[in-house]
Amino acid sequence: MFVAPHIEWAALVPVMIVLGAAVLGVLVEAFVPRTSRRLVQVVLAALALAGALVAVVWRWTVVQTSGPSALVAGALREDAPALLMQALLLVLALLALLVIADRARSEDAFTPTAAAIPGSEYEDQARRAGLAQTEVFPLTLFAVTGMLVFPAAADLLTMFIALEVLSLPLYLLAGLARRRRLVSQEASLKYFLLGAFSSAFFLMGLALLYGYAGSVHLDDIATAVPLVAGMDGLLLAGSALLIIGLLFKVGAVPFHAWTPDVYQGAPTPITGFMAACTKVAAFAALLRFVYVVTPGLSWDLGPMLWVVAILTMVVGTVLAIVQTDMKRTLAYSSVAHAGFLLLAVIALDSRGISSMVVYLLAYGLATIGAFGLVSLVRTKDAAGNLLGEAGHLSEWAGLGRRSPVLAVCFALFLLSFAGIPLTAGFTGKFAVFSAAVAGGAWPLVVVAVLASAAAAFFYVRIIVLMFFTEPATAEDGSETTVVRSEGLTAVAVVVCAVGTILVGVVPNAVIALSDQASKFLL
Amino acid sequence: MSELTISSGEAVIFWILAPLMVLGALGLLFARKTVHIAVAVAGVMVGLAIMYIANEAPFLGVAQVVVYTGAVMMLFVFVIMLIGVDAKESLKETLAGQRFLALLAGGGLLVLVLAVTTRAALPDPVGLAAANADTNAVGVARILFSDFVFPFELTGALLITAAVGALSLTHRVRLGAKIGQRELATAKLKAYGAGAGSSLITNRPGPGIYARHNSADMPAVDAAGEPVEDSITTVLRIRGQEARLPSEEELAEAGAPYGQDEPAAVVAGAGDERKELEQ
Amino acid sequence: MSILNYLVLSGILFSIGAVAVIVRRNAIVAFMGVELMLNAANLTLVTFARMHGDLTGQVIAFFVMVVAAAEVVIGLAIIVSIFRTRGSASLDDASLLKS
Repeated sequence: MFVAPHIEWAALVPVMIVLGAAVLGVLVEAFVPRTSRRLVQVVLAALALAGALVAVVWRWTVVQTSGPSALVAGALREDAPALLMQALLLVLALLALLVIADRARSEDAFTPTAAAIPGSEYEDQARRAGLAQTEVFPLTLFAVTGMLVFPAAADLLTMFIALEVLSLPLYLLAGLARRRRLVSQEASLKYFLLGAFSSAFFLMGLALLYGYAGSVHLDDIATAVPLVAGMDGLLLAGSALLIIGLLFKVGAVPFHAWTPDVYQGAPTPITGFMAACTKVAAFAALLRFVYVVTPGLSWDLGPMLWVVAILTMVVGTVLAIVQTDMKRTLAYSSVAHAGFLLLAVIALDSRGISSMVVYLLAYGLATIGAFGLVSLVRTKDAAGNLLGEAGHLSEWAGLGRRSPVLAVCFALFLLSFAGIPLTAGFTGKFAVFSAAVAGGAWPLVVVAVLASAAAAFFYVRIIVLMFFTEPATAEDGSETTVVRSEGLTAVAVVVCAVGTILVGVVPNAVIALSDQASKFLL
Repeated sequence: MSELTISSGEAVIFWILAPLMVLGALGLLFARKTVHIAVAVAGVMVGLAIMYIANEAPFLGVAQVVVYTGAVMMLFVFVIMLIGVDAKESLKETLAGQRFLALLAGGGLLVLVLAVTTRAALPDPVGLAAANADTNAVGVARILFSDFVFPFELTGALLITAAVGALSLTHRVRLGAKIGQRELATAKLKAYGAGAGSSLITNRPGPGIYARHNSADMPAVDAAGEPVEDSITTVLRIRGQEARLPSEEELAEAGAPYGQDEPAAVVAGAGDERKELEQ
Repeated sequence: MSILNYLVLSGILFSIGAVAVIVRRNAIVAFMGVELMLNAANLTLVTFARMHGDLTGQVIAFFVMVVAAAEVVIGLAIIVSIFRTRGSASLDDASLLKS
């Protein structure tokens, strides 16, 4: 009666490496002495991500020869898009890890101990004692585990569990900033409440779809679509609620309310990780759901997605223009980017998948690089004490004269965000827009081009601010300075910058690779 | 496949429980005290457990009581007890129009879900008699460990994350020497010696002792007739439940032994105590 | 009486939970609204499982309970740590961030 499921262990290797390293990291917390804990954690996490990347590449070669397959009783699907998204995720996570692990003047971006009340004497003691919240590394790995499963999930339940596995660690990580801890804790609470709210929507959508098809496997639902009559309402409402749950995660308008607050409050390295990797995972899952289950529904769900995409592009761009805080500006710009990415979802064209991979690569590199640089630009008071990050845009004035290399890199990332030719952003935008045109969504492309033009305005404004404005001296004698770190961030930023240029100048290799991923094979 | 017939007993249970559950859920919107809400929601969850059992899901019904009512909601109640000293919540609207929008959104959601479920041509219910042939728990286990074994393993990551997260948010490493009673006493006396005031080493004043009020919510009164804030326990103070000192007029009205002779002297707490002692 | 009644009830509970999350200013109450939404979805799943004569829906509901338990631990830990900082669990006091 009971048939034990066949488990394809080989195909699960990437996920198992990361998950195993996360569990090992928890044990490291318990058994390794405090002085060497951080080093062990960083090395373990980096090795795990690199190892998983190698494993994904190996699986890619296997899939190229033997074709896609269903894993573990149909819970996962191993196909080209999933593997490509996983590889992209691991590259970005590895870069983000470098930024997370970096320390400036032997202080990382995280609170010495999250249990201390902000501003209390105990917190001061903990700082002096050199405590470090090294749980950050296993938590990051847990989040990456969820992200790896998310694009490959072939049934809605696995998708739901993966969504939670990736979200819960992020809720925690958002609240661990070293400075401005109140803001950070609030960010954590807001992210948690809205995240839980959105997963409730996802779940209700799942329940309705189960009622419709009697199964939660994506391909079962897809085959039920033309067969089951009289319950179209269930299918539509279920899909809509499920998509809303995912749109919350990518921060599309009107489900974006958490984005600016969380991006601003979270520790900057975590913001970079979250902004890049969560978007990759969530868009990959959204793409799979929309392309596999709802192609026949484009007449019914299309209007909703169109409205969301237009709103997201317009609102994200307009609000980014009026911000005065660097992290909030980047947050709203990431909202706008979610709108551009929705174009690839709406396209419902085989090129939509490959163009999304290119766009996510460009966006992820620029995002991690930009937030890495933001974490290095600090305020210094008159006495020379190092304070928190220079958040206000005016504090970035004249940075191009003091630290030209940093400013040039930052400008490069901004240009990539804006989609200026010869940067990765242009390649991504071009790919997505042409996919959308091929899918017949040209009115959206018009809006997107206009929004890109408007967005270019505020990116260029920041560049002008950095290079052509005199540095302002504040009344209290504080000034902006660039801290010297251990160098890990520098490595990450350089890799991101080189990648941004390479994808912009010689896009063919990336496009050729991503074209192989242009089909979800059932 | 056999048709499912719903017994009239089930209908009776449903029509008794459903209104109660909706009432309990409405507590989420209208009740002011967090504890009341938590108990109401726990009640809703017990109702759901009974409905699960009625819906041929006895395993889930038991799990619902154990996990939701027993663990989750009780955790809520613990936390409310831990932090709920500001238990009452103002229901005043802080963002204009927000409540209206929320009702609109909620109403829309309700219409959507109801329209979808009631207007769908649902197939005739099959019932779970066949699937539950080897008892419900066995049937659930078969699917759990075959079709969904991967998500099942993945929930392990979830639980570890929860444990690590809760621990790192609340666990404090002890830094420096342990502070025992002796160290505390020495430190207090040292501070007193440095001129920090006597309140460090003497007992804090107890709550007010009046002839008519000897409850813990009445503050003690210092020599100037002002209430001593320290004399009331913190919890009462934060909740705003401490009693107000009677005004002189009220004292005068209250009559002997306070009001008649010299109302002014009554207010001075020290005088009161002496009077009481003399009696 | 048909199994439709259960679906209607779950729709009502889900909507009440959603409104509570948006309207209530206390983080704990808002969070209980989320729990109510999850429970409503569970009732839908269980009812549909009976309709289809297939236990998958019950298994999913069981998974939801596990997820909710983990989520509650994290959520309440965050709420407690905020309370220790600020002495209040109101979302209105959480106003350092511009809204």
